[in-house]
Amino acid sequence: MLDRVTDSLERYMDVLSMRQKVVASNIANADTPGFKTKDLNFQSEFASALSGSQPQASEVAGLPVKNDGNNVSLDREARLLAENAMRFNLASSLIREQIRMVKEAIQEGKSS
Amino acid sequence: MSLFSVLSVSASGMAAQRTRAELLVENIANSETTRTAEGGPYRRKDAIFSSEPVSSAFASELDAQLNGSVTGVKVAGISVDHTEPERRYMPGHPDADADGYVAMPRVNPAEDMVDLMGASRSYQANVSAMSAVKDMIQHSIDLLR
Repeated sequence: MLDRVTDSLERYMDVLSMRQKVVASNIANADTPGFKTKDLNFQSEFASALSGSQPQASEVAGLPVKNDGNNVSLDREARLLAENAMRFNLASSLIREQIRMVKEAIQEGKSS
Repeated sequence: MSLFSVLSVSASGMAAQRTRAELLVENIANSETTRTAEGGPYRRKDAIFSSEPVSSAFASELDAQLNGSVTGVKVAGISVDHTEPERRYMPGHPDADADGYVAMPRVNPAEDMVDLMGASRSYQANVSAMSAVKDMIQHSIDLLR
């Protein structure tokens, strides 16, 4: 949009919202028998999102499985939920700052 | 992908947990019911959950095609307990048989109360997910200001 940094931030927010969707789906399925926790590999997904491809969710290994075959840990999902929201807020504040700078440049030009 | 479709994932979780809570409350309310429309005592009901892709509008349909692994939850069915009713010796009861035994529902109120707490906690977890996403959407909108 404005420059490369804003572009990267935009992709970052895309990946974050995708991850938030995966987390919300895990929470919604916390009582579904046989459901397996899914997640994005954040680092590699962000790297591939920068090159313009769609993120893919995969199953998470190493979580304790309950009797009904479900391995959703609400503690883990709550942590990710909060973490994603904070990362997203940070990214949106940064973009906001970029926009403010451009706006200021435009207005300075106007007043003179 | 849109943040708005995350809301429908959480909403599906809330709807499913609400259905489960309704059935549990019905079980507790009917734990002493000896007469039903089908005849015989009340039979315990429970919800069966299954995961399914959220698809309502065109956008989410397209989204499901692109990344089909993200799913909501739905109530696939309601299971009715078909085990033999509990026979309790109550000779004075109007529904007692010749030997003085009454067929009572096989409902354990303690078990249902615990399940009800589980349903309520899961519902709250979905509400938290929804409000976290709502905050994210709000922050995106604030970029326009």
